[in-house]
Amino acid sequence: MTGLIVAGVTIVAAVVVGLVVRSRNGRIRTSGDGGTVTSAAPGGRAQDGVAPDGVSADGAALAGLPADVRDALTGEPADVTLVQLSTTFCAPCRQARALLTHVAERTDGLRHVDLDVTDKPGIARDLGVLRTPTTIAYARSGVELLRVSGVPKQEELLAALEPRLSGARRPIAERPEGGRPTE
Amino acid sequence: MSTQPAVDPRGPRFAAIVTTVVLVVVLATDWWPLLAAQTVVFAIGAFVGLRPAPYSVLYRLLVAPRLQPTGEREDAAPLRFAQAVGFAFALVGTIGYAFGVTAVGIVATALALFAAFLNAAFGFCLGCEMYLLLQRLSPRAGSAS
Repeated sequence: MTGLIVAGVTIVAAVVVGLVVRSRNGRIRTSGDGGTVTSAAPGGRAQDGVAPDGVSADGAALAGLPADVRDALTGEPADVTLVQLSTTFCAPCRQARALLTHVAERTDGLRHVDLDVTDKPGIARDLGVLRTPTTIAYARSGVELLRVSGVPKQEELLAALEPRLSGARRPIAERPEGGRPTE
Repeated sequence: MSTQPAVDPRGPRFAAIVTTVVLVVVLATDWWPLLAAQTVVFAIGAFVGLRPAPYSVLYRLLVAPRLQPTGEREDAAPLRFAQAVGFAFALVGTIGYAFGVTAVGIVATALALFAAFLNAAFGFCLGCEMYLLLQRLSPRAGSAS
């Protein structure tokens, strides 16, 4: 009897968690949303979204980031760099990669970097990321603009980043090939 | 890992549904040999391969012929990882039941059920997406980073 009750409670809990996760999938979060993102990296997330592109905080913001992320940002600077954290064991990471590669190719000033953190748990910990795929948008200065868990929604992401992109945005009609349309 | 054949994503979903039912029956009846069998099923999927996994075989024989073929394919690595996570919980649960520590059996089985149900109902692979969290909780992660 105990087992049956436990089974019922477990399923109810799973329904709740499933609905929460589904509603959070692809939703854009900025630091103002609070709670969900931790400021583990000193200086890394202090001024994000608020500072005018981190003009004065350039060094500090970049220096607070894990080395792999910093390299990704400085290697080929763009207005906005989307750093996607993935693991080998994550199926939606492939969908996110396909979508973001597609979007970045067609948007001026936008770059996409996919970081496989399967063997680099330190990066995920420093950035306060528990779930993959998580995509973090960084300004050129290293300041974090926003982050998205799960597969991002193309239109919402572009709309949120548009003020940060200096180049004119070209309309994106078609969706990328492959990948599952829904989860 | 990338050399593993990709699979029809509906197969694992079907497997998750069967797993959910099996785990509910285990919890309802405390009949641990069934959990032991489920542990073996997880082990085959995780350590041998998805193709010979019993629920995959069942899917191919019974379900797939009734569905439209699909070109959709899903990478096998995340699925096998998830099976390994399921295996760990089912093994702990089986040992718990078998040695009379029913509480351990119930809790471990409930956790496995939680993950299986999320996969069955929402297509959400808890083990896969929470890999980073699992890694952080495991003692190895501390020394690795």
